[in-house]
Amino acid sequence: EGPENDPTADPTESQNIVSTVNLGCPLDLKFIALQARNAEYNPKRFAAVIMRIREPRTTALIFSSGKMVCTGAKSEEQSRLAARKYARVVQKLGFPARFLDFKIQNMVASCDVCFPIRLEGLVLTHQQFSSQTAAQLVNNTHKMVFTSTSVGS
Amino acid sequence: MLKRNCSSSSGTATMTSRVCRTCGGSDIDVDQARGSAVCTGCGSVLEDNIIVSEVQFVEGSGGVSSAVGQFVSADGPVKAPLLGSGFHTGVGKESRAQTLQNGKRQIQQLGSQLQLNQHCLDTAFNFFKLVVSKHLTRGRRTEHVIAACLYLVCRTEGTPHMLLDLSDLLQVNVYILGKTFLLLARELCINAPAIDPCLYIPRFAHMLEFGDKNHEVSMTALRLVQRMKRDWMHTGRRPSGLCGAALLVAARMHKFRRSVKDVIGVVKVCQTTLRKRLTEFEDTPTSQLTIDEFMRVDLEQECDPPSFTAGQHKVKMQQLEQELARKLDEVEGEISCYKEEIETELEKSRPKLRGIYAAYAKEMGPSRTTAGPIQTRSHISTTPPEPELIHPEDEDVLSSPSDPEDKEGDDADLQAAAQRLTQDFLCQVIQEEGGRAPQEVETEGAGLPAQGASLASILGNASLGLQESFHTFNLPEPDQNPDEDPSPSGELDLEGIDDQEIDKYILNEKEVEVKTELWTKQNADYLKEQKEKEERITKEKEQGTYKEKKKKYKKREQIEAATAGEAIEKMLERKKISSKINYDVLRDLNQPAGSPASEPPGGAGAAPRKRLSRRRRKAGDANAELSAGATMMTKRFRRLISSTPRKKTAAPQVETAVVMETASEAVPEAPPAALPGPAPAEAPPPVETEEEEEAAEEDCVSALRLVGGRSTTFPDPSEPEPEPTNASMFSRLRL
Repeated sequence: EGPENDPTADPTESQNIVSTVNLGCPLDLKFIALQARNAEYNPKRFAAVIMRIREPRTTALIFSSGKMVCTGAKSEEQSRLAARKYARVVQKLGFPARFLDFKIQNMVASCDVCFPIRLEGLVLTHQQFSSQTAAQLVNNTHKMVFTSTSVGS
Repeated sequence: MLKRNCSSSSGTATMTSRVCRTCGGSDIDVDQARGSAVCTGCGSVLEDNIIVSEVQFVEGSGGVSSAVGQFVSADGPVKAPLLGSGFHTGVGKESRAQTLQNGKRQIQQLGSQLQLNQHCLDTAFNFFKLVVSKHLTRGRRTEHVIAACLYLVCRTEGTPHMLLDLSDLLQVNVYILGKTFLLLARELCINAPAIDPCLYIPRFAHMLEFGDKNHEVSMTALRLVQRMKRDWMHTGRRPSGLCGAALLVAARMHKFRRSVKDVIGVVKVCQTTLRKRLTEFEDTPTSQLTIDEFMRVDLEQECDPPSFTAGQHKVKMQQLEQELARKLDEVEGEISCYKEEIETELEKSRPKLRGIYAAYAKEMGPSRTTAGPIQTRSHISTTPPEPELIHPEDEDVLSSPSDPEDKEGDDADLQAAAQRLTQDFLCQVIQEEGGRAPQEVETEGAGLPAQGASLASILGNASLGLQESFHTFNLPEPDQNPDEDPSPSGELDLEGIDDQEIDKYILNEKEVEVKTELWTKQNADYLKEQKEKEERITKEKEQGTYKEKKKKYKKREQIEAATAGEAIEKMLERKKISSKINYDVLRDLNQPAGSPASEPPGGAGAAPRKRLSRRRRKAGDANAELSAGATMMTKRFRRLISSTPRKKTAAPQVETAVVMETASEAVPEAPPAALPGPAPAEAPPPVETEEEEEAAEEDCVSALRLVGGRSTTFPDPSEPEPEPTNASMFSRLRL
């Protein structure tokens, strides 16, 4: 039974989770790129190693400072597991990697409201939040940003 | 055209009834010849270049006569030429006026090409003025901005102009114009209403040249478009695509031969888009009506938008697939029980293993089920089955695989997996063997090959699922305490990570060599650059001219504050906006009116802060505190002389030095030279003695307080220590 039939099921589906973690030690990106099977490193283009694992299917950007960004997971727990796997790979390559300050940065989810929406009307009534993309107003993004309470200067 | 008369042949002096500004005399002499108005009483010149409404001509070089004068524009402020008699044109015009003038000119030019009326052009110019005032023209080409303004007007007025037309005229990518347009619309808070495809119909119809029947075709197309709108086909789509489809259908309805190519040439959409729109329209019930019916009748029913139906279709397909999978599972269940029967039969008919094989089989133990059938298979293929042989020694071996209930949980999983795999093998075997199996198996065998492949895939999925379940089974509940950091030391938690899996991600030596070679080849340029850079650095270091240019990223610290008031305070402290601001008043903005006015005299910690506060306020209110400062100074001086010298600490010394500085700034007559001398030499009064004097200093402070308005009650927990504030005070004073 799909989510429409089950009233207790969550209609929203998480699509992507971005998280960061600090491995706590400087890394030699060239070494990592050459020793790891699933790593690509193009220093002219971008100063980080791009590593991918199959399970959970995620991509990580590993920087020489030891910081890492992990994207593509479908749930928070998966993101954490994936980040740990990357850290383990780095550890196995000989670096004293640790797992500090794991933090979820961004979550993207989709939701089906099960009824068609008049996009023009939405833009008219919720102008604060809605914006139409540059492709000749074909699509409509409705954005509500929730900020944390700490005040930045 | 207005002319300033500076020199002319005729001259008449006339009297005007004006009053001289300087002497008040009414005797003004106006000389038309010189164009000046002079007061005869005091001689002051009241007017220099009198404006006359005459047209005069002047003969220029080569006998060309030209009118004398200066063009003054209707809009745009023209600076009065303060440089005396000015024939100067265009000089002294500010950049803003130039921008606007330039913009207006371009708008006129472009607008006329689009055949926009003057009202639209004026509106566009107003938009442009708004844009310029909001500094949105920075970093953008003027022609883009102009185009966006014009399109904005088109949208608000509802003219049938497309952005594509503008891009054609300007030879600019339409998406760039679109981006600019959207940005401007957002910044100017102008809500451009969604374009109605009906607006484009007459225009396209005209371009398709329907001749006399133009109007009829347009009307039909309009009806079609309205129908499409009701069927939710126009939401989120380009209006031109819909128009194209509608016009095509309308043309065909009126027996005009317009091919798809003609239409797309006019409407400027892709062929695929047009076909898609037509298909979507075909799916609606309206398409089933005849032409006459369509013109007369309007169906009540509204369709769902095509994307919605497509989505639903997909969902349905998924459901169907799930059903199918479930049915397959059921069938598989049936098959498995058949297979079990087959297996038992085979076991019975199997040639029993004797001798070394028996021992071997015993060793295998639980994995018998995988090994057993394989061995049996080989036996079956090589030797004909002997159904009646059952060796006693193999009884227990036989019995062991047949009771999986004794096994533990994960062993049972293994068993099930093994069973499933063997079933796969079995069905292959059965196919090979053909007639050996009992009758039931044969019927199954026929059905099996068809499902063999799908079973394999299902089994493949099942095995993957099992692997996952293994992993999750092994994970000892990581979600017990999600907030608590499982490794506070930062050590990597290895739970749930399969080491073998990780090892797969690391290359062996040979592979590393290959990869290194490839990588160095690919990044040869980069490596060269790096080497050169290093050489340069070493050279410079030797020469001593090495400048280490570090990229300094200004890292902003996040202010953690519980209330808005605290946040404001912290921000102000950090930013140090101005030394003239009375921060205390700002601080008290968020506090209620009845804040405690008394200064608690106790507390050593509070005291230096209070002193600092007083001093801070001193820095703020220069005037009022001058006197207070002086009195403070004298008091302190007295105290300095009277008090016994005590050990000085760095902080109070700085404080007193600071005081000295304020004092010296504030009070010039006090002997500043003498003070800095004895003050650092003598022990500065410690904090405690100051407290005693507080009562005495109350009256001098009260003036400050009057000016400050309220007392200073430092919110203690969030207050930084005196030391850093000292430094900040110092710097602030130095400002």
